[in-house]
Amino acid sequence: MIEVQGLQKRFAVENPKKLSEQEKKDPRLKGRFFRSVRDVSFQCEEGCVLGLLGPNGAGKTTTLRMLSTALSPDSGSIFIDGVDVLKAPIEARKRIGFLSGSTGLYGRLTGRENMAYFGELHGMSKAAVEERIDELADMLDLHTFLDRRCENFSTGMKQKTAIARTVIHSPKVVVLDEPTTGLDIMAAQTVLSFVRHLKSLGTPVIFSTHHLAEVSELCDRVCVINEGKTMFDDTLNAFTQLSENSLNDAFLSALNMKEA
Amino acid sequence: MWIVFKKELKEILRDKKTLFFMIALPLLIIPAIGGVVGYFSVKAVTEAEEKILKVSIVNPNAAPQITEELQRSEFFEIVPIESGVTPEQWVKSKGADFVLTMPDSYTAPLLESNQRVFVIHLNDAGLNLVERRLKEIIEPYLNKQQQTAFQTLNLSEEQSAGLIEPFVFDKIDVADKRENIGEKVGGMLTYFIFILCLQGAMMPAADLGAGEKERGTLETLLISPIERKYLVLGKFLTIALAGVMTALITVLSMAIWGIVLSQGMAIQFVAEFMGAINAIDFVLIFFMLIPIVSILASILLSISTYARSFKEAQSYMAPLVFVVIVPTLMSSLPGIELTGGWAWVPLTNVALAIKELIKGTMDYYQLIPIFVSSMAIALGTLSFCVYWFNKEKVLFR
Repeated sequence: MIEVQGLQKRFAVENPKKLSEQEKKDPRLKGRFFRSVRDVSFQCEEGCVLGLLGPNGAGKTTTLRMLSTALSPDSGSIFIDGVDVLKAPIEARKRIGFLSGSTGLYGRLTGRENMAYFGELHGMSKAAVEERIDELADMLDLHTFLDRRCENFSTGMKQKTAIARTVIHSPKVVVLDEPTTGLDIMAAQTVLSFVRHLKSLGTPVIFSTHHLAEVSELCDRVCVINEGKTMFDDTLNAFTQLSENSLNDAFLSALNMKEA
Repeated sequence: MWIVFKKELKEILRDKKTLFFMIALPLLIIPAIGGVVGYFSVKAVTEAEEKILKVSIVNPNAAPQITEELQRSEFFEIVPIESGVTPEQWVKSKGADFVLTMPDSYTAPLLESNQRVFVIHLNDAGLNLVERRLKEIIEPYLNKQQQTAFQTLNLSEEQSAGLIEPFVFDKIDVADKRENIGEKVGGMLTYFIFILCLQGAMMPAADLGAGEKERGTLETLLISPIERKYLVLGKFLTIALAGVMTALITVLSMAIWGIVLSQGMAIQFVAEFMGAINAIDFVLIFFMLIPIVSILASILLSISTYARSFKEAQSYMAPLVFVVIVPTLMSSLPGIELTGGWAWVPLTNVALAIKELIKGTMDYYQLIPIFVSSMAIALGTLSFCVYWFNKEKVLFR
């Protein structure tokens, strides 16, 4: 279970004078700071898939980076499986699997070595790593290219290997930041099937996306963020009811709603 | 930390680009470049030595003996100067390699005339042997004239010598062969070692920091459940090892190629020189390199962590060469010795110490300030690197 409450994060602006007129009008700009995330809250129960939506620059990636402990929030709280992420980040990291669309692999290592490296970093024994790699290779059909260097992989192979690496340590929650952005249909399908599989295992999944079709296909809950604030946080059903026309209209309505 | 170190090392050993800079460059390319430069310089000197010089003589009858010698010599070809052309124009128009104007006073006894002035018009910009070859011909005749003058004055051989050279220094060098060679070789060697440590560490450093950002692997690494200081240490050790290995390979390659290429006496000389430096000195040189490489590795890793891409990292790293060159050059300046304040100046002190060790004149007490200052700076730069690696604005620029 993931609980996020009142997250805030600001970044220092190196030279405010250099900002464009449009950037200066952004309500999140205050003095020398850009408040990327101002108030984000949501929760995701076991077996639940939460779709995190929002326009570009809304604060989705910053939120997910805080969730994954890569960034520390200025205020707010994050609990993952009962562990306070801010107080015990190392402990929390053991429970999280994080994957983004721009995630890469070590090209000069084989797929197996990439996975093993992260397995070992997560404190797994060599035998446990081997066993888990076999299990994941069966599940994601990696056997044909597992021992080849990643630099020669196709996009699909890379994505499958990255997924396997993300869950090598059997995380309690999985966070995906725009995992299908820039992928072809086949590779995107691999990611979606993987999310479905996690759901069947009861693992809570949070993923940010711009594809509303993916949301309607997979998500149980939807959280819409705009200008660093949660504007909507409810079930998929409630989200679809925001507009009779389409999910796109529902999304636009959510953006214009008062804060959730 | 060791997991990171092992993985980074594995990646480096599989990277052709890094291996090229670490192994191929010092082992083959540098000696090959040296060989090519050596070959062409030897060829140029041989050509200059074998070349027959075309000479035009002005006033040849003033010094008939010299003119005859020049005619007889196989190294000169006499060409007449065109009438109405000045010697300068003649040389510029390549009519001759040089024009020699004989002094009118040549045949007169030395005591009755002034110093003989042979005017030579030549293009002295390139390599030429005009002066040396002329001296070989003229000197015996003028020496004879000189002796005749001394006899006329009734001077003994000693008095004559005193007149020719009123004073000489009788130098008795107490420095042994090793000290002499060490002074010359030591400075160059440290310079090479430092630059190569830096070169060898640069590629892996750019790859291990900015390269991770560029490939999109850094974020995944940052959220693995080990403290960031261990991530930094694993990466730092890899970079430092690459630097030391490059330096070691270079020195070894220099020694091997030196022995392979030199012949006869040269082998004897190299063997004698190497034999004079004992194993402890070699070990000390190696140990002193550790803090130096640590300083360089942590600075490189900090730069690389800050850079957004591999290219950006490389352009930030390039000026570091000057940071290394300046203190190394300082060590070769006269008057700068491994005493007092200089023993505390980073890089310069190690450069001086390596030179002293090679010379065999090391004051081993100076190792204390060297290690204290180098280790303190190394720890400082490494701590900064750890601090830097924890800064969000550095990691997510």
